[in-house]
Amino acid sequence: MAAVIFFVAAALAVIGGIGVIISRQPIRSVLSLVVVMIALSVEFLLLSAQFIFVVQIIVYAGAVMVLFLFVIALLGPARELGRGRLRFQSWLSLLFVAVFFGLIYAMFQGITYRQPDKADLSVFGTVQSIAVGLFTNYLYPFELTSILLLVAAIGAVYLSRRDLR
Amino acid sequence: MSNDVLALLILLFPAAGALLLAGRGWRMPRLVTQIVGPGVVWAAFIVTLVLFFNQVNGDFTYWTWIKSGNFELPFNLYVDNLSLFMCLVITGVGGLIVTYSVGYMAHEDNPSYARFFTYMDVFIFSMLMLVLAGNFVFLIIGWGLVGLSSYFLIGFWYHRRTAVAAARKAFVMNVIGDVGMILGAFVLFVQFHALTFASVFQQIDNPGQCIDLCAIPAIGDSSTLELAAFLLLVGAVAKSAQIPLHTWLPDAMEGPTPVSALIHAATMVTAGVYLVARMHPIYDVAIVAHDAVAIIGAVTALFAATIAIVQTDIKRVLAYSTMSQIGYMFLAVGIGAYSAGLFHLLSHAFFKALLFMAAGNIIHAMADEQDMRRYGGLWKQIRFTSVFFLIGSLSLVGVIPFVGFFSKEGILGEAFSRPGTLGLAVWAVGFVTALLTGFYTGRMWWLSFWGRPSATRPVEHPHEAPAVMLIPVAILAVLATAGGFIQMSALGFGPTLVSDFLQKVVPKPSWEENGTAVVVGLVTMVLGAALFVGAMRIRPWSARVPWAQRILEHKYYFDEAYDAVFVRPLDRSADDGYRGVEERVIDGAVMGAGGLAEAGAGSLSLTETGYFRNYVLVFVAGAVIVAVLLIARFAT
Amino acid sequence: MSSFDVGGSTLDVSWFLLLAAILFTLGTIGVLVRRNPLVILICIELMLNAVNLTLIAFSRQLQNIDGQLFALMSMTVAAAEAVVGLAILVDIFRVRDVEDVDDLSEMSG
Repeated sequence: MAAVIFFVAAALAVIGGIGVIISRQPIRSVLSLVVVMIALSVEFLLLSAQFIFVVQIIVYAGAVMVLFLFVIALLGPARELGRGRLRFQSWLSLLFVAVFFGLIYAMFQGITYRQPDKADLSVFGTVQSIAVGLFTNYLYPFELTSILLLVAAIGAVYLSRRDLR
Repeated sequence: MSNDVLALLILLFPAAGALLLAGRGWRMPRLVTQIVGPGVVWAAFIVTLVLFFNQVNGDFTYWTWIKSGNFELPFNLYVDNLSLFMCLVITGVGGLIVTYSVGYMAHEDNPSYARFFTYMDVFIFSMLMLVLAGNFVFLIIGWGLVGLSSYFLIGFWYHRRTAVAAARKAFVMNVIGDVGMILGAFVLFVQFHALTFASVFQQIDNPGQCIDLCAIPAIGDSSTLELAAFLLLVGAVAKSAQIPLHTWLPDAMEGPTPVSALIHAATMVTAGVYLVARMHPIYDVAIVAHDAVAIIGAVTALFAATIAIVQTDIKRVLAYSTMSQIGYMFLAVGIGAYSAGLFHLLSHAFFKALLFMAAGNIIHAMADEQDMRRYGGLWKQIRFTSVFFLIGSLSLVGVIPFVGFFSKEGILGEAFSRPGTLGLAVWAVGFVTALLTGFYTGRMWWLSFWGRPSATRPVEHPHEAPAVMLIPVAILAVLATAGGFIQMSALGFGPTLVSDFLQKVVPKPSWEENGTAVVVGLVTMVLGAALFVGAMRIRPWSARVPWAQRILEHKYYFDEAYDAVFVRPLDRSADDGYRGVEERVIDGAVMGAGGLAEAGAGSLSLTETGYFRNYVLVFVAGAVIVAVLLIARFAT
Repeated sequence: MSSFDVGGSTLDVSWFLLLAAILFTLGTIGVLVRRNPLVILICIELMLNAVNLTLIAFSRQLQNIDGQLFALMSMTVAAAEAVVGLAILVDIFRVRDVEDVDDLSEMSG
């Protein structure tokens, strides 16, 4: 049962991914990405990451992607026309990326995983366990991340203001 | 005061004078220069006299310069009768000349005046170092410094192109001699593994006691010593302006007249004679080189005398005369009559310095005119100088009772009496040269002092020189007149103070002077005097043999030959070297390195396309390649 | 070791990893090939999501919560980065209409 869910979600994700890179109109790319994100959140759920599953949908798909949509709406539709100036770019890119993928695939063949740490699977991935980790071991990165968000917000406000002459 | 300190003082006085004048001389009042310049030379003279009267002999070591394993090189001064003799000449005659130049150079401004005396003191110091040095290294140091001082002094009036060219020529030829000297010292070092005179001479004299590489066979059979002797001879020939390294001496007359008097008559050019005398242990063994000394001397004597016949510049006549007389000295030391040669050195210092300084008085009086054809009739107008010049001239010709007779006939007498063909051959050459000497000296005297004043005279009423320039000349005139009587071996009787003094150091000739030699000497004198007196009566032969005149005027084309064989090819090869090596290779390499960097940068900057996607591609490609390498490493 | 149990069926962690690899590859291709700056940013987001998936997969397999926390941080940073990137893009768009990121190539040579 879980396997079926997995494969369906995986198929959706891959189709969405292909859609992202193929779409001529940026708005379609954004929407394809949303599909990918929702599919991925299902995967997260399968991996006992309940909190992340929710956060992915609310924050990522809900906020960040909406932001993208707003910007696209602001900037107007744009179409990529023509063949582009760099002649070898596409071929070389595909070559290297293919090599890269082959590499990763080859790695799977010989992987040995280490012994898992013993954790309580019933509370694994719940809000409590995330909170415990976040506010005890990783408090410092947590605070830094909040500062980072603050800085990003200030930066965005500043960068996008109109010039006041 | 102990003797070693005194010996060092001889050197220190002129050195101190030079340093003082070089440092502050141009800022101090002229009087200071006038006192310090000659004063230090006289101080050195007094110290030399003290050592002379106390008959000091010694090898004084002051400090050790090089210590390397068993080899030690000290700074030592070798005081013996020979070096004292030379020091007396240098400081005595040098003192007179430097005093004279206080007046001669009076027209210079303060800085130049001080510069002149600085150079003179440096020269005196170097020459003293040369004769007092106790080992080859300091001998060569003094030798080189003397050449350098000569360069400074010849080119003293450096605004004149001719003076600068002459100074350079003198220096280059001196350096050629220096190379010979140094190579000779190398050979001796390799042979004896020592550089001090004491050590080297001891090893030559006592082959059984030698320290290292002892292969000194019997006399006449040592090729190493022959080689060393010839190499040292190269140095002597260059310094004393003998053939073939003689062409610099006439040009050196560009310098002020006191310089010509001091360096190119009395002292520096006699350094070669001193060298052969000092190295007599070597030359006694290396008989081929020894004979070469005599032959070179004789040939130069004759050669120079022939050229002197056609000179019109009074200083040039005296220059060629100097070359000729030094040829006599070389002749003497070359056949083994060391004392005779050194006595001629002394007497030549007297009368040649006298002649040069008197000529300086004339040049001074005639507003720097040196062409004798524009003189004439000076006897009536500047009586003192004329008298002094006459004394000098008669001494040069070799007339009794002047010192030149005793020294020159002393040499010729020794040559005549020497058994073997070499003696007679060089005597014959010397005899002819003596006659020629009479002729050209007479020509010089009659042209300048007698007859009517020339129509092209620059100065109508020349005035006599001031006292500071006359008195040294007068002193030398007295010495030239009376000096002969200390060594009267030419006449076969009378005191022989000089040879007695010197023969403690240099060997006596191995033959006796015979009575015929005395007679022959007197005959030579008479003939020479006759030519002197009758010089102007001999009708100009130049019209009859113009080709001979031309050869003589061009000094046998030596300068032209050297120019064609050495100077021009060297110039051309320097040019080629510049264009081929300097510009193409070195500049090419440097510019090429720059060009390479530019090209490299240019090609590298092609990666800066400005396209974002290119950069990302490179990024990804790099990551992939690194990943491949890592995995390949860790997977195997 | 690599499989784990989810509500009855067994899943293998390598499937998740493969999926993440595919998504990451797609994202890379997109960054390299597409010329619209907005689309490039979107593809970057795709890559980040793939990485998140990897993190969480390993977190589950190793039974260590740190992976999920890392993914959380990564999400936050991705959001911040998207915001600032878009702000810059808006700024550029004010000056000129950028359809092709190749037009922004003044920093060359």
